[in-house]
Amino acid sequence: MSTDTTATAAKRPDTPSEPQPGRGRRLLDLILTERVALLAVLLVLVVVWFYVLGQQGYLVAPYDTDYLASALDTMVPLCLLALAELVVIVSGRGGIDLSVGSIVSLSGMAFGFMVGQWQWPVLPALVATVAVGAALGAINGLLIAYLGFPALIATLATFYAYGALALLMNNNAPISTKPIQDLHAITRAISIPLLGDSIPDLPLQVATFLLPVIVVVWLLVNRTVYGRKLYAVGTNDIAARFANIPVRRSRLLAYLVSGLLSGVVAVVTVAQFASARPDAGSVGNGMALPAITIAVLGGVAITGGVGRVAGVILAALLVVWLNAGILLAFEGSDGSQYQLFALGGLLILSALLNAYSTRRGRGGA
Amino acid sequence: MANLTTMLSRPSRRPVARAVEGQEIALILVLLALWTALSLGTDTFLTASNLSNLLYSVAPVALIGIGMTAVIVTGGIDVSVGSAAAVVMVVVAKLIRDGGAGLPAAVLVAVAVGLVLGSVNGVLISFGGIHPIIVTFGTLNLYRFLALRLFENKQVSGVPGTLSFFGGGDNSETLGIPNAWWLTMVAAALMWCYSRYWATGRHWYAIGNDVGAARLAGIRVHRRTIAAYAVTGLFVGLAAVVLIGTGGLVQQNAGVGLELRVIAAVVIGGTSILGGRGTVLGTLLGALLVGTVTSAITLLGWPSDATELFIGLFILVAVGVDLVRQRRRSAR
Repeated sequence: MSTDTTATAAKRPDTPSEPQPGRGRRLLDLILTERVALLAVLLVLVVVWFYVLGQQGYLVAPYDTDYLASALDTMVPLCLLALAELVVIVSGRGGIDLSVGSIVSLSGMAFGFMVGQWQWPVLPALVATVAVGAALGAINGLLIAYLGFPALIATLATFYAYGALALLMNNNAPISTKPIQDLHAITRAISIPLLGDSIPDLPLQVATFLLPVIVVVWLLVNRTVYGRKLYAVGTNDIAARFANIPVRRSRLLAYLVSGLLSGVVAVVTVAQFASARPDAGSVGNGMALPAITIAVLGGVAITGGVGRVAGVILAALLVVWLNAGILLAFEGSDGSQYQLFALGGLLILSALLNAYSTRRGRGGA
Repeated sequence: MANLTTMLSRPSRRPVARAVEGQEIALILVLLALWTALSLGTDTFLTASNLSNLLYSVAPVALIGIGMTAVIVTGGIDVSVGSAAAVVMVVVAKLIRDGGAGLPAAVLVAVAVGLVLGSVNGVLISFGGIHPIIVTFGTLNLYRFLALRLFENKQVSGVPGTLSFFGGGDNSETLGIPNAWWLTMVAAALMWCYSRYWATGRHWYAIGNDVGAARLAGIRVHRRTIAAYAVTGLFVGLAAVVLIGTGGLVQQNAGVGLELRVIAAVVIGGTSILGGRGTVLGTLLGALLVGTVTSAITLLGWPSDATELFIGLFILVAVGVDLVRQRRRSAR
């Protein structure tokens, strides 16, 4: 919890000398300065707004709980990669990982070979895939933490290199043999035991991949010694070195974790596509950009040392449910265009708000 | 300061060695070696049409790279250039197809639209107090949205050859070199002079080295920062003109991924991503190197996907060499 207090202490002015503001004022301050509160309010607003629109018949399909639950499908890779960016960005000194999409492609192809060609059982293949992802992330970490490459450059280079290797591995062809297609089963929707009647069926991957990873990352960041070190390194690496924290190793591990999470996403995307695609991580604008956007929207400071798991998850939920609503609000492909608008607008507004609240914080202190 | 004192106390014995520090001579040597090898190894590399194609295909990346160099020198970055180029392309393509605009008007509109898009980035970054990469990630999405709305769900086809003067055909060459490359070289020369000899050009380097010190020295940091992004937008406009070129088709995915190729060229050219160091000449050479590798892989019949592997390795080598040199410099 100590990181949370340091994070908010930097943001929120503690001004005991001034008269206590009213309750409404305090609430507004909370929403403006606490990213989690703002995101929760926005999330409720978005869901209620689209629900009302749906009731009035403005949407092409009902925006109900079943639809919201099925939209969680798209949240799994997004949220996992946003958590990867959280760990990396928090590690500081311009930390960023542009290569996550390429790691997804490359380790996904490795998974495709293991399961689709060499007929490995799924579980060892899954472990091996995650290990491949971690190894690729460790290469990033080595370049950045030990050889001194700026993170943006190192991961730009490996974004190219890993992506090219993924394409070259199987001559640009996807692997979609029978064992791979059977994997699609893990993306099916299931009803939750005991509660199954009262809540809609959830995608299985939410239970098997998303929730466990969220718990593990939360524990890693908030409840382990490594988590403490990570925030310390990200806040001020010189101070961290004087505190006898292994700065380089902590940073390397951050990139390793990012690669590891990308390896998990690789398995998820292979299952979703029912095919190991060499371009899985680079379709459209790639996976890194939306992931970084969600991390920043979730309150992760690009300068390092600040960021919470809860914020990232709420941001991912907000983006996913907003996108799902936008898709229903427009005919044809217009919806996917407005999704870009919403993502870009949200990112800039939230960053402006970040800058505003920190500036106010400085002014008050 | 440390640099200055070492320079004063230790007169440079080999003035040539100082020029190598700009990474440019090393790049020129690599390029010459590559070209020699390719000329000897393939029949097709050293032909007028291939070289002309190479220069034309490098021009857009090099043009935007000229602006990007200024942005990165100030310690910033602009990842929205690909989307911005798409906006300019669709506007100009529709203008010359439906509006029947001539070459001067089209170029003027392209540059103006680019300037506006770049200035929006600059204003948000300098007055909004947001990190450049966040702002431009945001405008990357916003500009792509704008472009797609302007496309109205279909590609622009049947674009007339109004801009073919800057295109890639045989009749758009002067002295055997594509006009697009002449444009690039003239623009690069102007920017080289500006950023080397004009006070306001030097301010970019000062901002990149230390914003606080630059502000205390009386540099108008806001204005210079906005200028860097606006200039990048201007060059995005020119690059869009080159990309439309002989006309034909402008597709909805125009400019996707362009930003990373531009940044790669700038970084390979020796510009430090941390700001304060870099030259336009290096960027031009970096873009040429990337273009040469792309062309070489096609000529050698290797799978085209290998191109990006080489781009990645080149970035690592270029920046790695720079890191080693820097370490040696500071160890002295």
